[in-house]
Amino acid sequence: MQNTIVCIKWGNKYDDSYVEKLKEQCENNCSVPFDFYCLTDNPTKDYHVKLPIYLDDHYDEERGFFWAWRKIYMFSELVDGEQFLFLDLDVIIHQDLKYFFDLPMGKPYIVRGWWNDPHKVKLNYSRLKSTPLNSSVIRWDREQLKPVVKDVRKNAEVIFFTYPSLDNYFNHRWYNIWNEEDSFFRGFPQGDIYSWYKGNIFPDDMDLETLRKDHKICLFNNSTHVEGVNTEEIKKLW
Amino acid sequence: MVDIAQESFVATSLFFTHVKSDQERAAREWKQTFVDVERDLNYCYRRVMNATTVSQIQSKLWIIEELNNLNIKPDCVALLGGWYGNFLVQLLIDEYDTFLIHNFEIDEDVKTISYKFNKRHKDRKKYKCDILDVMFKTIYEKQSKNGKKFDTIINTSCEHMFHMKRFVDLNGYGLSKPTYVLQSTNSNRYDDHINCVRSAEVLAEQSGLENILYCGSKRLHDDMKRFMVIGD
Repeated sequence: MQNTIVCIKWGNKYDDSYVEKLKEQCENNCSVPFDFYCLTDNPTKDYHVKLPIYLDDHYDEERGFFWAWRKIYMFSELVDGEQFLFLDLDVIIHQDLKYFFDLPMGKPYIVRGWWNDPHKVKLNYSRLKSTPLNSSVIRWDREQLKPVVKDVRKNAEVIFFTYPSLDNYFNHRWYNIWNEEDSFFRGFPQGDIYSWYKGNIFPDDMDLETLRKDHKICLFNNSTHVEGVNTEEIKKLW
Repeated sequence: MVDIAQESFVATSLFFTHVKSDQERAAREWKQTFVDVERDLNYCYRRVMNATTVSQIQSKLWIIEELNNLNIKPDCVALLGGWYGNFLVQLLIDEYDTFLIHNFEIDEDVKTISYKFNKRHKDRKKYKCDILDVMFKTIYEKQSKNGKKFDTIINTSCEHMFHMKRFVDLNGYGLSKPTYVLQSTNSNRYDDHINCVRSAEVLAEQSGLENILYCGSKRLHDDMKRFMVIGD
């Protein structure tokens, strides 16, 4: 099986050093062969792939809803591969990524933020807040996420209007917080991925800004799309 | 400053002055709902009280008032995003002896709690709730195959969703020209008010309805301005 690791970079929130560091982390922490691609609006290197733009007109900058829509592009088979792993640029990899390529793939995987209080998540579901999902790490097999692309293309006007974030969209359209078995996505199990700013597992392991090297990946995602905000702290840990 | 529990008490009292049928059972079920929610779904308790305010009942009574003014008598109602249906279901059944009120919600806990508030109506098959996002899925298949069709669509949550024209287009000829009752607000004090409108006319425009029978606004108890459009 051909393994592919994908990241995305657009705009100026992150500079090229983040892509290079992520690539280096993957090379140092993956014991199976893989191809690495960065989907970007400004391709300059051989592993860069130009991002499409077919959804861009739906984005309303003033509203700022569904702001990470460009991640949808990566599900439409822009690069070769059979087994895909997406990583945000601001992650710290602690352990062998082979683990992710060995997962049983009846369903695609996304980060289930175990640090969220499940009651708060349910309470705020219809208020489009407190989403339990985080798209910083996604694992899918080829074709598996085509329905998502199809859904966004078909319903772009409603989706860009309704969902403040991509994660919120995933939570509403492709996940069931009341019954994960009924969901399109499966959450990575507890103990795989944690958040630097939000903790690990609610309510027992919620220490913030703590490295947990027995886990696979640490996320720095802080749910902001404001350029230049909180992008430096990770560099101290590289 | 009136806190939310006092506000809910006042709203509940006001509501029960309007309840015409089976008052005793209604009171029992309401009380049990609050007991059950506090015990089993405690995280929803405050939200239930937020749904039980004077403004909430004012806006529902306004619907009844204007439907009566227009001499419209709903019989088979689709309630879009009807939340717990704590006020409106009873008011419609009392006023029009409504055959069915079918609430389409997206929140499983809302469904559970709405069945507690409306147990008497659920038991008589006059109230049901389905989990369905009306901006993505059609509701017309939910109508009885050989029985009554939805003659009234009520959406008092337009500020929480995309333009109603989407719903109207999505359901197209699947519905047989029902009357629409739509409410929204210009208040953007809540994050989840993703579609505030500046006037009832804008709300009407968003619906794409051809025939507007009523278009008006009302300042509610919480100082929020509410708009209502009735049309087909």
